[in-house]
Amino acid sequence: MRIAGENTLHAPVSRAWDALLDPAVLVATIPGCERLVATGANSYDMTVTAGVAAIKGTYAGTCVLSDLSEPSSLVMKLDGTGAPGTIGATVNVGFSSIDDATTLVTWDADAVVGGMIGGVGQRMLTSVSKRMAGEFFGNVDKALSGALPAAAPTGTPAETPVAGQVFTAPAISPRSDFVKGIAVGAGLVLLGVVAGSLFGRRR
Amino acid sequence: MTTKLFGTRVQRVEDQRFLRGQGRYVDDIDAGPHTLHAAVLRSPHAHAKVLEVHVDDVLDLEGVHAVWTYEDLADLSAPMADPLPLLIPHPTLTHARTQYALANGEVNYVGEAIAFVVADDRYVAEDAVGRIRVDYEVLPPVVGIEAARSATALVHEDVPGNVGARMEQSNGDAPAAIAGAPHVLTLDLTVERSACQPMEGRGTVARWDRDIDRLTVWSSTQTSTGVRAAIAVKLGLDLGQVDVVTPDVGGGFGVKINHPWPEELLVPLAARLLGRPVKFVEDRREHFISSAHERGQVHHVEVGFDDDGRLLGLDVEFWHDHGAYTPYGLIVPIITSTQLLGPYKPGAYRVRFESLFTNTVMVTPYRGAGRPQGCFVMERTMDAIAAYLGKDRADVRALNFIQPDEFPYDQGLIFQDGRALEYDSGDYPASLEKLKALVGWEEFPAFKAEMAAQGRQVGIGLACYVEGTGVGPYEGAHVHIETTGKVKVATGLTTQGQGHATVFAQIAADVLGVPLADVQVVTGDTRRMPYAVGTFASRAAVMSGSAIHLAATRAREKVLRIAADALEASEDDLEITDGVVSVKGAPASSIALGTIAVLSNPLRYAFDEQSKMATQFSVGDPGKPPVAEDDEPGLEGKDFYSPERATFASGMHAVIVETDPLTAEIKILKYAVVHDCGHLINPMIVEGQIHGGVAQGVGGALYERMAYDESGQLLNASFMDFLMPYVTEVPTSIDIDHLETPSPLNPLGIKGAGEAGVIPSAAVFAAAISDAEGFSITSMPISPSELFALRRLHQEEPS
Repeated sequence: MRIAGENTLHAPVSRAWDALLDPAVLVATIPGCERLVATGANSYDMTVTAGVAAIKGTYAGTCVLSDLSEPSSLVMKLDGTGAPGTIGATVNVGFSSIDDATTLVTWDADAVVGGMIGGVGQRMLTSVSKRMAGEFFGNVDKALSGALPAAAPTGTPAETPVAGQVFTAPAISPRSDFVKGIAVGAGLVLLGVVAGSLFGRRR
Repeated sequence: MTTKLFGTRVQRVEDQRFLRGQGRYVDDIDAGPHTLHAAVLRSPHAHAKVLEVHVDDVLDLEGVHAVWTYEDLADLSAPMADPLPLLIPHPTLTHARTQYALANGEVNYVGEAIAFVVADDRYVAEDAVGRIRVDYEVLPPVVGIEAARSATALVHEDVPGNVGARMEQSNGDAPAAIAGAPHVLTLDLTVERSACQPMEGRGTVARWDRDIDRLTVWSSTQTSTGVRAAIAVKLGLDLGQVDVVTPDVGGGFGVKINHPWPEELLVPLAARLLGRPVKFVEDRREHFISSAHERGQVHHVEVGFDDDGRLLGLDVEFWHDHGAYTPYGLIVPIITSTQLLGPYKPGAYRVRFESLFTNTVMVTPYRGAGRPQGCFVMERTMDAIAAYLGKDRADVRALNFIQPDEFPYDQGLIFQDGRALEYDSGDYPASLEKLKALVGWEEFPAFKAEMAAQGRQVGIGLACYVEGTGVGPYEGAHVHIETTGKVKVATGLTTQGQGHATVFAQIAADVLGVPLADVQVVTGDTRRMPYAVGTFASRAAVMSGSAIHLAATRAREKVLRIAADALEASEDDLEITDGVVSVKGAPASSIALGTIAVLSNPLRYAFDEQSKMATQFSVGDPGKPPVAEDDEPGLEGKDFYSPERATFASGMHAVIVETDPLTAEIKILKYAVVHDCGHLINPMIVEGQIHGGVAQGVGGALYERMAYDESGQLLNASFMDFLMPYVTEVPTSIDIDHLETPSPLNPLGIKGAGEAGVIPSAAVFAAAISDAEGFSITSMPISPSELFALRRLHQEEPS
């Protein structure tokens, strides 16, 4: 199935690009994202917990980025598996400048949702995904404005994430600057969103 | 004589239990306090290689007793590592494939079993399933008939073109007849996938009794003897070590005739190896994705006819989606290809089909079993001919009917049972006249005009079918008259709510002259009748009904023989009334059936006052053996019924629908059925079958479908999304008229009735909606949105 959407970030394209590729930001802003582990350049393992009522579970997933064309586009391949089902997606993400202080992020995902969630929740996917994407980008916007703390990598800070580096969802604490790097983005959103959104993570 | 019960509206004796919530279904079976529960890991992918199954996280989980994957099966029982049986092989099924009990390196549909977990309870079992990790290599899925035919991807890499079977049958030279016909039409007709959806899904409970080295299995099945044979072979047991009992079954509708399901083998295997009872009960989602579907077919028709609408040649080609595996062989497409002919003489006929693999749930019969599609094809063709010639649709049909004096009528084809497609009896013109009167066919144009004047849009449709029922090979019955005079009847086929306990008792009570309340019927218990086939193809009344009639007749013969001796009268002078045998005209000279049962069993040891009569100093000629050479002790009768071929029931439905000009909502105004299943054993039960069938047919025509996406995920695998008719969607009244054309093939003159109600639904609704809308409906089911879209299409391109 295809899911597409677009969202606006209140930052210039370069900052938006950095933020959406920053695992420390993502782990803090993706609904349900608990943990990211860099497994190499452009690839991550991650853990997302999502669900509602009876269909709830933790998804173990991978994310690989390719076709990076900074700062305008990238392609992301995602796989996630958990007790409620599987998610596989290829996401094209585009960044374009609306003005000096605003960026439009467009995303277009071709997703295969399998297992229980494939059969039970798929019809709600498109609308809920978009709502959850809105929530995610809202969080990113807050992070960009400094209102939301991002995660610091556990262990020694580094300029770019290295294999084995772990990011966990942060406790509320003042945050310094963004850790630069290549990471997940809207695709991860999709995993978080697809998994989480299906059942509309309630708080 | 006792009032004859055959043919009367006897209330269903089983309803006392069902309506009070006292039915005992497989999940109600209490196999012991130490019962373990099973859950199954199912494939989330429609097509993938299974690279590795990681069960390490589960092995030490508290409460988990067993975790099996394919790798374990051979060690547990060697035959378990083989594919599941191909139940019905056929020479044209050149590329049959069946699945393994647990996936062997590859999965071919979402839902295919990969691992089996047995735990203290279902919660632990499902948690354990959730912790098993599987490495897959996802392969391109083949979903739908078009994708299967294009063969850009293959379901099984060694099955070229995804074609499991190609079959052709013909009677005469149809292409030549069509080429020479004054008029020719072609039609393309589609029926989508659906499924039975019994309220109770599949379920199996097993207990191994080590003290007697014997396995008892309770399964929600349509064939306990079939399940028994499969379990014995797969577990390496003697048949005599396996008992299969079918408790109350909450609906079968065809899906439970397929067997053995993986769980039907894995549960008894686990029970035996773990030494504790094991239970598996399918949940609804599992039923959607791991039981069976049906109906999906695409058809192409060429028909040649004369100026009156008489068929000269009919050439049909169709493509049958049989899903990922073919355990049930070609039964469904063979039925479509033969039963399509209905009550008509087609002139020359040729039918060809391909049975295709797809990465979807496998296909086995669903009530009607290929007939709804065949009926849809034939009846749409009849309507097309009538429309083309500007003739009345009923007249065109009548012109092509086989006439009452033409029976037996041989259609010149081979039916699903490997026997000639020879209709035994029927009266189609009489049925049509009854139907026209019942629905108001002649009055309808005036009604339509009247409605049109009010801005309302109505349409009428009719559809005719013939249904081969009561196929072989056989059924048997055992009748035992106890010393209390009570009669115990056992037949091997199973019951899924048809009212067997009532109708079979009616038959036995009539033969034996006992009150209905004194007859108790047991079905589907291999301990009571180990030779049986199963309940499918509207065969139970014909097959077991006839067998019970024959077995009861055997018992009656023995009753009369012993009574004649005791009463010193001729057998011909005896009659049995209310359980007492008496001399006609001399009621004082009588003996109770129970007493005859006592006398039938020469005793050394009395066990009560009455049995003293049968001890060695009381009865018998001292000069002869107590049990004669050609006799046996006890008052029993046993017999089998095995007909030469099926008996052909028939019927016709008509419906008047109203379609909303704005919303395209489809409303049923009137539904009429004329039904001929030969002699009626119990008209109330036959009508109940028709009501249920019509309700299910409404679902099939207007609501039910399997919504697969292009990756082979079933999107509506729940009752939230899969629509079924509620009472609000079923016609408030169904007008029924019966015709009783007896079958010459069995002693009671009966024919099957179980599937009849559902067969013409797609055809009759398509016809009525077409009539209301003014354009032809060629694909079923149809939803209001689809009808709305069709209206737009036809407004843009007026036909």
